[in-house]
Amino acid sequence: MSALTLQNLNLTVDDEIWLDDISLHLEPGGLYTLLGRTGAGKTSLIRAIAGLEDLNGGRIWHGDTCWNGLAPWRRPVAMVYQQFINYPHLSVLDNVAFPLRRAGVGAEEARERARGMIDKVGLSPMAGRRPGELSGGQQQRVAIARALTKDAPVLLLDEPLVNLDYKLREQLREDLVELLAGRRSTIVIYASTEPSEALQMSSRLLLMEEGRVVQEGLPRAVFDAPASIGAARIVNDPPINILSMTLDSDAAEVESLGYFPLDALFGRERLADIGEAGLAPGQYYIGLRASDLQLAPEGRPAEVTLTEVSGSETITHLDMAGCHLVLHERAVVNHRVGSQIHVRPRLSTVFIFDRNGALAHVAHPARGMD
Amino acid sequence: MYRQKHLFLLPGLLVLVAIIIFPLLFTIRVSFSSWDVFQPGLDWIGGENYGRLLEDARYWGALGRLLVMAVGTVLIQYVLGFALALLVWGDLRARRFFRVLFLVPMMTTPVVMSVIWRTVFHESIGPLNGILQAVGLHGLPWLSEPTLAFISVMMVEIWQWTPFMFLLLLAGLVSLPREPYLAAKIDGAGPIRTFFAVTFPAMAGISIAAILIRLIEASKIMESVYVMTSGGPGTATETSSYYIYIRGLRDFQLGYASSLSVTYLVIMIISLTIIAKVLVRFFVKDRT
Amino acid sequence: MKTLYLAIKYLAILVWSCFVVFPFLWALTTSFKTANGVTGGATWIPWLQYEPSMHGWKTLFGGAGGTDITGPYLNSIIVTGSASLISIVLGTLAAYGLSRFTFKAGFVRNGDITFFFISQRIMPPIVLAIPFFLLLRQLGLLDTLAGLVLVYIALLLPIAVWVMVDFFNNVPRQLDEMAWLDGCTPMTTFYRVILPNSVPGLIVAGMFCLIFGWNDFFFAFTLTFTNTQLLPVAIVALNSSVTPWWSLSASALISVAPLILLAFVVERFLSRGGLAGAVR
Repeated sequence: MSALTLQNLNLTVDDEIWLDDISLHLEPGGLYTLLGRTGAGKTSLIRAIAGLEDLNGGRIWHGDTCWNGLAPWRRPVAMVYQQFINYPHLSVLDNVAFPLRRAGVGAEEARERARGMIDKVGLSPMAGRRPGELSGGQQQRVAIARALTKDAPVLLLDEPLVNLDYKLREQLREDLVELLAGRRSTIVIYASTEPSEALQMSSRLLLMEEGRVVQEGLPRAVFDAPASIGAARIVNDPPINILSMTLDSDAAEVESLGYFPLDALFGRERLADIGEAGLAPGQYYIGLRASDLQLAPEGRPAEVTLTEVSGSETITHLDMAGCHLVLHERAVVNHRVGSQIHVRPRLSTVFIFDRNGALAHVAHPARGMD
Repeated sequence: MYRQKHLFLLPGLLVLVAIIIFPLLFTIRVSFSSWDVFQPGLDWIGGENYGRLLEDARYWGALGRLLVMAVGTVLIQYVLGFALALLVWGDLRARRFFRVLFLVPMMTTPVVMSVIWRTVFHESIGPLNGILQAVGLHGLPWLSEPTLAFISVMMVEIWQWTPFMFLLLLAGLVSLPREPYLAAKIDGAGPIRTFFAVTFPAMAGISIAAILIRLIEASKIMESVYVMTSGGPGTATETSSYYIYIRGLRDFQLGYASSLSVTYLVIMIISLTIIAKVLVRFFVKDRT
Repeated sequence: MKTLYLAIKYLAILVWSCFVVFPFLWALTTSFKTANGVTGGATWIPWLQYEPSMHGWKTLFGGAGGTDITGPYLNSIIVTGSASLISIVLGTLAAYGLSRFTFKAGFVRNGDITFFFISQRIMPPIVLAIPFFLLLRQLGLLDTLAGLVLVYIALLLPIAVWVMVDFFNNVPRQLDEMAWLDGCTPMTTFYRVILPNSVPGLIVAGMFCLIFGWNDFFFAFTLTFTNTQLLPVAIVALNSSVTPWWSLSASALISVAPLILLAFVVERFLSRGGLAGAVR
């Protein structure tokens, strides 16, 4: 069982930097999620590991074997694409058995093993059909089954669920977690743009932005303490509110939201002075989750610029005195665009970033305080 | 990275080069000699042949005639082919029958059909004049009057090759997405509007490819001329290919014919490249 | 208004159909004529205007005073078939290479190489006829089937490349990549994954190769004499002797028959949208 080590990977295409000095160490048994926006470099990294992109610099090691210059068909890697890629001319059964046959497994045995995997993804009745006759979700299951059948030490999934509708995505996500559970010898790398997906599935989270890994750690830890404003933006969906803040020794003045006494922010820590939190008076940025705002008649006025209903939740974009805020409510509410509502913060976790955007402190106000 | 890639390209490329390279180089070499019936063999006379062809009015006349004939027939074939494709595209009774029928001429052997057309155009016992006379008109000297002969050859070419355009354009039409048409219908566009706004632009790629390929093939017009008119009357239907044939295989002036060939090749490559660019400009106009 | 439009539509189709059918009809009726039926003036309807006879058809198959057309027929099949097959094999391989990989030799790139292939079609047969004549003579392949096959490969290979490059460009690369990741080398990928999914393109390429190969006249004319004769040459030879219009017409009809069958195949294929993937 070998670990996958990436050393200083660099990829530049047409003067654009796609991978910027990436170094990672990935252990078997781990489900690593690459989380980042579109264009952050997730796909590039996955393709580089698969051997589908020629790196400009850096090395990839699998145990003691250097993969540089090794063609994709020689790498022990399996991959699931975003688009449902299956062999159109083969039946589902032969699709899943394909990698085994290429590896020299006999036809009968390959089919047997394929049948087992097809059963696990719940497609047994479709085994004789062609992928073209299946729905999107079923096609992706075939692709997943084929990738799993190969039993490769490195399994790459590039946003496999992004082209499915909401319900299917949830269903397939659960199935995937089940399928991947217990694979202790496999390194699974999963690219996603959805923080919730990452939190649900992964054993380790890798945040990517502009070709770089900006943070790495346990999902919960990253979520609870994003290393920078950029990281905070990646790991929060709905978007996190970032406002500028002036800290004095005993109070904080937050852009648009107003004046907060010190214990409103640091209540739980019972600080007498901000120095005890390692902070000095000055300019900072404060990060408030969208769910940390609430409607309140005594709150401050803001104008609704956009309302999105997603499932059973509502995300509303507001303009409060020129400041863009996002409000998240666990209910279906219809705020009319242009209308005025009143909001106030209901602080549970407060991220304090310094002037350069790096995380300075995570504050936990006492419950129920504002 | 993949060394196997050469295995794909090289067999075909090498075979082609091997078969073509000798004839090509040989022709170029011979063009600098005065090889003919009386003096067979490769001597060197420099650019004499080329000088001679510059003053050869017959050669340039042939080129001009070729231009008119090739461009003329291809344009007509394009318009007709498109019209036919549109006609059999949608709902039509016995649609499949007509589609097969319209394809047939392209599948036939041009020489053989030219032989038959020759009998058709025959002035005294051919059916064409027979029909004209039956309706009270005079028979026409289809193959013995210069302009008529030119037109006759063009007719045969059009008959033969319109199906090619028809096939490519119909294939293109059949694969067009439906959405723009639904949108056009909702916008209330009539059939003519829809054609120019939706169909025509969408067929730009295929149109360019089809016209270019046809032009390349049409420039080699030879067999119909050979069979029907032998370049005549006089030189009325003499195209470049035919003239080169006369000088090369009939008069056996290989040296001179080779220089004609090389010049022709260069002119063709340049012209086609220019025409390709023009076509792209024409078909892919700025869509704002 | 709608009916007027429809009427014009059917009229146009009818007119063109007549134009298409005209020479065939003429050839058909003529093939059953004798000397009298021909020289008296243009006649169309058998039994009414002339006495039909099988004379024209009989002379085709070795009858009295005629030519036996079965030999050239067979030769055409062999030459066209072999040359098309080889051209498609080599051409498809080359096209796949050009579509998937980058080649660079100095300043020459993929696009240039593809252009080189296609530009071979620009050469008129005349230009190549004499050099080919000398080449084949040197190789002792004049007047042989093998010699012709060689020459035809040079003619048909570009067609195969033209059609297949375009086709392969429309097959998503991810299919290749998936095959690679499943353990296929490029060659195996081509053979096991891409080729089975390229049937439409291959059919189009095959069709064009067969058509242009079967219908060639000039090279067969210049490069063969007595031992080997292809069909078009044999037919035109009939033309230059005393004009036996009847056997001429009969032979013409026979020679175009195979490809007319092809037309049926192509149409069936076209309607199923198969051609779409092959021709951009």
